[in-house]
Amino acid sequence: MKKRLGLTMRARHIVQGYSFISIWIVGFFLFMAIPLFKSLMYSFQDLKIMSGGLEATQVGLKHYNNAFTVDTSFVPKLITSFTNIVIQVPLTLVFAMFSALLLNRKLFGRIAFRGIFFLPVIIASGAVLKKLMGEGATRLPIFDQVDLVGKLIDYVPGQILFPLLKMMDAITLIMWDSGVQILIFLAGLQSISTTLYEAAKCDGATPWESFWKVTFPMIMPMILVNTLFSIVSSFTKVDNSVMDYIQYIVFNKNDYGYASALGWIYFVFIFLVIGAVFLIFRRASAEERR
Amino acid sequence: MAINRDTVTTHVATFKRIAADKEAAMAPLRLAAARRAKTFISQLFIYSVLLSLAFVFIYPVLFIFSSSLMQAGDVTDATVKWIPKELSFTNYAYAFQQLDFWRSFMNSTIISLGSAVVQVVSCAVIGYGFARFRFPGRGLWLALVLFTFLVPPQTIIVPLFLQFSNLGWLNTYLPFIVPGVFGHGLKGALFVLIFIQFFRKLPIQLEEAALIDGAGAFRTFRSIMFPLARPAMLVVFLFSIVWHWTDTYEPTMYLMDSEKFNLTQQLSKMNGEGQGEGAKQLTETKSVIGEPPTKVNRVMAGALLSILPILALYLFAQRYFVESVERTGIAGD
Repeated sequence: MKKRLGLTMRARHIVQGYSFISIWIVGFFLFMAIPLFKSLMYSFQDLKIMSGGLEATQVGLKHYNNAFTVDTSFVPKLITSFTNIVIQVPLTLVFAMFSALLLNRKLFGRIAFRGIFFLPVIIASGAVLKKLMGEGATRLPIFDQVDLVGKLIDYVPGQILFPLLKMMDAITLIMWDSGVQILIFLAGLQSISTTLYEAAKCDGATPWESFWKVTFPMIMPMILVNTLFSIVSSFTKVDNSVMDYIQYIVFNKNDYGYASALGWIYFVFIFLVIGAVFLIFRRASAEERR
Repeated sequence: MAINRDTVTTHVATFKRIAADKEAAMAPLRLAAARRAKTFISQLFIYSVLLSLAFVFIYPVLFIFSSSLMQAGDVTDATVKWIPKELSFTNYAYAFQQLDFWRSFMNSTIISLGSAVVQVVSCAVIGYGFARFRFPGRGLWLALVLFTFLVPPQTIIVPLFLQFSNLGWLNTYLPFIVPGVFGHGLKGALFVLIFIQFFRKLPIQLEEAALIDGAGAFRTFRSIMFPLARPAMLVVFLFSIVWHWTDTYEPTMYLMDSEKFNLTQQLSKMNGEGQGEGAKQLTETKSVIGEPPTKVNRVMAGALLSILPILALYLFAQRYFVESVERTGIAGD
């Protein structure tokens, strides 16, 4: 065997490991760290495009101040995208879990059903296409045909009814957005060992009980994964209103400094939301253990 | 014959016992019948729920398909709901021409296929490095992989745009493909994570055997682990193709020359009837409500044309797609 630089086993392991991930590290600096740092710089500057390149003047925290005090449309958009998440993510999770449980059973035509449930990921992820579908295809005709509002308004107070109907209206889009989540849940369900269910059955557990005592705890990690995935994809969706707005500032107003500041505010905001989710999950699983 | 009271009672007892035995023998059968009826009802319930959900998923596709075939006469005709009076493909002919189909199809293909191929290879290499080697700083780099997944593209778009523009990469396909070479690009972090999960589950004995046979780490990876990763590669490849195909954000950013437009860009141009050039399009896609009804139908035809290649791919690969996502354990543990 050739002599290899006289490295110890462990040192060689380190070198090899780093050489495998080195391309990622290079890419990280080129396409993430440096741009991120630059955009932080830009967010404290006013940028003007000159013939010789960019001309920057330091303005300190002006952009950050403007975002919250002068700009009337940024904060409402931020709030909208947050409330969207609060409403949509739980619904997505419940629906995805429900569908995954159904699709995990032994069924006739299971593959066909799975194919159909995953169809939207293929064709509806483009913003333009989604918009087109929103023009009439994503609302179920039932709501218009039976005049649901007129019938229910007598029984249900408006404060409850309208948000509820709004949710119902969004439900098709939510279903269309949950393809990946269904798959992740399916993969999780299949990794649960059948012996657990058998043991539960021997102890006299009903299907309902064995769902809550076996399936649910076992699938907890996937719930976390799915929550994060849903939040991130909802925040970074192209048709998200904040994303749209930043895009508008960049390309229609050419205000690069302000756009960078908005981008950073948004980024910090997302981080806080995700941090909160992590905390909630950690507390929940700690309680589970007790 | 004198009937003894006692004999009668014993006989009655015997009959009763026989009847009870019979009853006991029948009970499981009856129970089974009840259970069968119950499972039948629950099956019926499950299938009807599944079918109605499937309908919700298919409805928009049907809607687009049906309205793409309609002419002005069909739209105003109240008797026409789903099936147009006469079959004509003029909308498609119009959309085909407006989309500049073959050219934008080629552009889309180059972007999707190119990035998918480089992402599969680079993410496999990176994922293997994370999955199989212990080195100082591993946790930190792994955390940074997750971090890149969370950063919204808008935050870094200005510097990236300027960077690519300084390099003279605008209006080329390099901004899509080069980040992919380094395991970044569209959803790169997710693909790395998929490979990490996959390689972790392979038995380590394979590599030990290769090591004993004298193969180095790269040789082991190239000739043993990489070929074994086929299910994960398939998933990443298909996801990458699909997401690049339907992505509107990056193309509108980096491709301003209409000769370089891909299908989604042409579609949004068709939708907004082309006032927006390049990156401005995305913010200017107008609502088609309030437009003459036939225009919507033409745009619908265009929409169907633009997703047709990817739909064909999906119909062909659907089985592998869903099954291997499950097998690769995308969800992790």
